[in-house]
Amino acid sequence: VTLDVQAACRDTTVTQELLKEGFHRDLLVKVELGEDAGGCAVAAQMRLPPGIYVDPYELATLQQHNLTKAVLFPDVIDLEAPEYMARDLLLLLFLQQDARCPRCFRATVPVHARYHRPAEGTEEALVVLESPEVLLCCCHSHLSAECWEPAEVDTPCSSDTTSPCQWHSTKHKPAYEESVLRVPVGLREHSSLVCALTLLTTGLCSGLILAAACKYGHFL
Amino acid sequence: VSSRGNAEALVALLVLAALYWVEAGSVGKAAVCYGLAVHMKIYPLTYALPIALRLRARPGRGEGALPARGDRTAKFTFVARLWHLFVKVLNRDVLLFGTVAGSVLAALTVAFYHLYGWEFLEHAYLYHLTRRDIRHNFSPYFYMLYLTAENKWSFALGLAAFLPQLLLLLVVSIAFYRDLAFSCFLHTAIFVTFNKVCTSQYFVWYLCLLPLVMPSIKMSWHRALLLLFLWFIGQGLWLTPAYFLEFKGYNTFLFIWLAGLLFLLINSLIIVQIISHYQKEAQVAKKLKHQ
Repeated sequence: VTLDVQAACRDTTVTQELLKEGFHRDLLVKVELGEDAGGCAVAAQMRLPPGIYVDPYELATLQQHNLTKAVLFPDVIDLEAPEYMARDLLLLLFLQQDARCPRCFRATVPVHARYHRPAEGTEEALVVLESPEVLLCCCHSHLSAECWEPAEVDTPCSSDTTSPCQWHSTKHKPAYEESVLRVPVGLREHSSLVCALTLLTTGLCSGLILAAACKYGHFL
Repeated sequence: VSSRGNAEALVALLVLAALYWVEAGSVGKAAVCYGLAVHMKIYPLTYALPIALRLRARPGRGEGALPARGDRTAKFTFVARLWHLFVKVLNRDVLLFGTVAGSVLAALTVAFYHLYGWEFLEHAYLYHLTRRDIRHNFSPYFYMLYLTAENKWSFALGLAAFLPQLLLLLVVSIAFYRDLAFSCFLHTAIFVTFNKVCTSQYFVWYLCLLPLVMPSIKMSWHRALLLLFLWFIGQGLWLTPAYFLEFKGYNTFLFIWLAGLLFLLINSLIIVQIISHYQKEAQVAKKLKHQ
């Protein structure tokens, strides 16, 4: 009997993809549930490393236009900080029904890469995105206990506090799949050349302007 | 919005108003506009020196005026005259200007602190003191500062970047204070060009003063158009690798840096050309006198 029940619990698959190129990307998360969602809201929770961030103002604008629904924690972040001065972010992204298949859900959120430390010997830094965790927010719970277990999530499941809504996560974690973002970085080998040539050029230019000011200005 | 964002039209208006009132003789009104402008954006603070020098050298204010050219015998060495200039800088107008502008700025700071608390002070003033923006921008120093951001030399390099800016601003103030608009224009152009961070937004700061100085610059149309063309080319050559870095992910840091140096050279050339073609009527008269 136990075997039958386990076989009935098909695995949920989750994939994430980074669209576009450069420092500004779109993170696409696709989830295919093992069984019917049954009216539950589907969400994906992921921890974003310090090398990447979501702009809270951009997110607020997208939410205003009903294009994306997500919760960012912490919601106040330094947009200009380089990677080594930034912190991890927790993103809870609500997914929408995908027309292509009955148990498919997807959502996109714009992400931005931060500046990384200059490197030696390599032109790129790697930002590794861990696989998201699939969460279901159910208010009339009839999820199979074999596949789903209650989960602790900071964000309330629904705005209506009286209804018995509860978050659930998968019992059997889906296959681990990382996504990697490549960020160009400066090369440390260039330091001496860059410093020397920069200071020489600024020295030369200030000399030129000084000479002109002394020649054409009326001092005293 | 203004101190961290973009309300350039208002700041330009206040700066122009301040300069207008100084020239017109209403020191009080000028000081109010100036105080308000500095509250909105910090860069007009650099105008303090040209304005002070201009206020003490106004015709009719006998106090503090330099000895006439006729007395200029060997008694007055260059250093002595420089000392004379700075020591006598505090005349009645300058003190009035300083007091009113300082009071306006202090009052606004206190008022906004009451409204917004520590957050206001942090974003309006403290942020600019500790800012370390190493992301790509027009400044020639950008790559140098990015590569040495965590280096023990970064403070020394930051200082090395600040000194040419400071020296040029001082020299230009002393050389051209008689024409306030021209002096402020050069001030801002030099400040922006040699700054550690430079974005397109900063160009408005000196472009708003350009119409005031254009009549004094006797330059052929061909030369002026060529310089303008060079200025745009300089920006274009920077924007291209920057686009490929930010939106395509190619490592074009070296190209961006070199384009930044080229842009500095172009800006310096333009400033030198403007200085060398500057001709106010007094200068023409001087030339005639010496012939």
